[in-house]
Amino acid sequence: MGGNTGARFGGDVVIEASGLERTFGEVVAVDGIDLAVTRGEVFGFLGPNGAGKSTTVRMLTTLLRPTGGTARIGGHDVEKSAADVRRIIGVALQDASIDPLMTGNELMRLQAVLHGISRSESRSRGAELLARVGLTGAAGRRVATYSGGMRRRLDLALSLVHEPSILFLDEPSAGLDPTSRLALWEEVRRLNSELGTTVFLTTQYLEEADELAGRIAIIDRGRLVREGSPEDLKSTVGSPTLRVDVDPVFLESARRVLVGFGPERPAREGRCAIGLDGGAARVAEVVRALDDAGVTVSHLELDAPSLDDVFAEATGRRLEGAEQ
Amino acid sequence: MTCSPKRLAVASRGPNSEHPTVNAGAATGLRLAGVQTLALTRRSVITEWRQLGNVIPGIVFPLLLAAVYTHQFTRAILLPGFPVVDSFLDFVLPASLVQSVSFGATEAGTELARDIENGFFDRLRASPCTRLPLLLGRLCGAVVVAAAKGILIIAIFLMFGTEIAGGPAAAVVLVAAAVLLVIAIGGLGQVLAILTGSQEAVNATFPLVFTSIFMSSAFFPTNLMSGWFREVAEANPVTWIIDPVRRLILEGWSWSDVGQALAVPLVISAVTVTMAVVALNRKLSSS
Amino acid sequence: MVASAICGRGMRRIMARPILIMPVLLMPLIFVLSFTGAFVSLTRVEGYGTDNVFNWMAVYAAMQGAVFAGVGGASTTAEDIENGFFDRLLLTPGSRVPILVGTMAYSALRSTIPTTGVLLVSALGGLRLPGGPLALVTVYVATAGMASAFCLLGLAVVYRFRTMRSMILIQVCGFSSMFLSTGQVPIHFMNGWLHAVARVNPVTNVLRFARQGFLGDLTWTMTWPGLVALGAMVAVAGALAVHQLRRLAA
Repeated sequence: MGGNTGARFGGDVVIEASGLERTFGEVVAVDGIDLAVTRGEVFGFLGPNGAGKSTTVRMLTTLLRPTGGTARIGGHDVEKSAADVRRIIGVALQDASIDPLMTGNELMRLQAVLHGISRSESRSRGAELLARVGLTGAAGRRVATYSGGMRRRLDLALSLVHEPSILFLDEPSAGLDPTSRLALWEEVRRLNSELGTTVFLTTQYLEEADELAGRIAIIDRGRLVREGSPEDLKSTVGSPTLRVDVDPVFLESARRVLVGFGPERPAREGRCAIGLDGGAARVAEVVRALDDAGVTVSHLELDAPSLDDVFAEATGRRLEGAEQ
Repeated sequence: MTCSPKRLAVASRGPNSEHPTVNAGAATGLRLAGVQTLALTRRSVITEWRQLGNVIPGIVFPLLLAAVYTHQFTRAILLPGFPVVDSFLDFVLPASLVQSVSFGATEAGTELARDIENGFFDRLRASPCTRLPLLLGRLCGAVVVAAAKGILIIAIFLMFGTEIAGGPAAAVVLVAAAVLLVIAIGGLGQVLAILTGSQEAVNATFPLVFTSIFMSSAFFPTNLMSGWFREVAEANPVTWIIDPVRRLILEGWSWSDVGQALAVPLVISAVTVTMAVVALNRKLSSS
Repeated sequence: MVASAICGRGMRRIMARPILIMPVLLMPLIFVLSFTGAFVSLTRVEGYGTDNVFNWMAVYAAMQGAVFAGVGGASTTAEDIENGFFDRLLLTPGSRVPILVGTMAYSALRSTIPTTGVLLVSALGGLRLPGGPLALVTVYVATAGMASAFCLLGLAVVYRFRTMRSMILIQVCGFSSMFLSTGQVPIHFMNGWLHAVARVNPVTNVLRFARQGFLGDLTWTMTWPGLVALGAMVAVAGALAVHQLRRLAA
């Protein structure tokens, strides 16, 4: 279930953005985003590829200058007090930011020095963090020999060296195998519940947002389209989704029957989907109606509303990577 | 029928086709080889032309070097033992030409290595292309570009007052010698490409070629050198090419100089191209 | 502190893959051997300044090597930008200028490798020090300065264009700047446009400063213009680099 909504840690806002905008020449990557993340929250930024998630993160972490709007992290303006922002944040970007010619240990040490941590302390923190992400054995080897998952884990450890109170994770589990993904989720939960770290994570995976975030913002084509806790968002969709697979010959008749039971929802080829008003109780009726119309059904499923449905309702499209 | 990639895709239809439609009524043997070579040459030239950024350094750098040396060696050319010249520019013409063509000489090899690296070579191999055009096509491409560069450089030097005592025929010999040298280096590059399949390895030969031009009589007469360097320079085949060519430019026509200037690179190219063909055959029959 | 950490990281990378330093070391060695070999009879020309060709050419080769070392330092940053590690460096709390300073320091340190190599080889070739051991000091100061200046220039280009390919521009610049100067012959040997260019080229003053101990005694008149030239090159290049670094996040 989702993480803290931050209310019990006091209400101060640690990540705020107002009209945040970023254009690259003609292209508007981020189109006026407002955000307010309170201390201790796990905030999820959910959206398909190219929605503007990474661009937003880069602006919030002082790696990119906004072309419009403002943002403040921990009270510091990202443009005017960028140096101060960097002191309190930890960042793990989509492409692990590591130097393949160095070893895990060397990178940890360098990171510690860059953050002004003393030699002795850096040694103990480094060892502890590497153990936490399961890289103690590989720490003496050059990073070039690490697998993709190992690099991600190292990147996460690097972002935590200076015990930041705010952590930015950009698509943290992209490319990770299921076991590593679960381990990552565990670690994020632990950081949040034990240390009260505020976590801002971006993802294109529904379950990740669902599992980890206390609050979610759905972003599409540079704009925020929905915001709220996963439960609240799903309840706005209301009805569960009924998906029916039929032979193409019957598709039109099936559609005509089904839209009598609720609004149509986006579905893939050869499939018809609706939001079933009245819920599971009406499935029997639907089946009878399809039968009367002479439609042969090859497959039928009923799903509780998911974040994908929330996205579909807001944008008319399905999220990439969503299971269908 | 040409060896364009599109046609190849069609032509390589199954390893066991007994009656490949592609051969119906098409040219065979030598004529086919000629057509294939021409097509690959065209491809080579177009590729190099597209990478104009690579061609320009090969013209600008040698010219810059010649210009700088001409203005800094005005006293040096008066040294006893230095050939009689009006200006260092006359002395350095063969060197500039050789240097210029050396810039593109490894192209044939890197192109082949690139094709091997990205698998295009395998597709060519599966086609009815016979083996020799695979190598010659690229070498011919390099030759065309080298000849163009050579003519351009001679023209520029003539514009700046250089005189070629041996006349236009000597200029032709100069270009021919440079072109043969390119074949020699290109062949070597292709051998490396076939043996290593790596562009980097082939590119590494460029510094070697570059240095060997310096360690010859290109930029200063060997009789004014001393010690081990002089021995190296006198044993360097580049010297054996540049000296006779320079005499053709400074002193006038001489059949023995022409002979030496052309024979040396010809022999070397024959050797390297043979090595390349042997290496190619071995690679193709082993897989 | 941040700058020394960046510098140290660079040096450690060289030790991790010594092959990386080979081109920077070999190129000047090849230069010094080729030029002293081919142009040895220059010493017979009246007014050359020395009767030992190594005494003239060694400094030129060392400085050329230093320029390559400087550009190589900036190349490390280009690599970092291309593989994403630079983002991590950009996330350093506080000012980002120490990253630049550290890279520059790394280049200056790196330049001691080709310089020492050239001096050793030249010693074998009969290099002499009429100006005494101070002659070596000027060489090392000059090469460190040249490496720093070209590293900073390289960084300015890399911060602006963010690719390895843009380094070619600086390599060409570096080579030309040394080439259009008194690398191989004294300035009064030159004529025409080359003479005019060499006169205004700051590298000419640097070469004169660096080389003086190999041609005779060290004097202040030959020293201060070289130091001024070095200082100016580093300052200008540094300003460009800092400006581009500030613009980087835009």
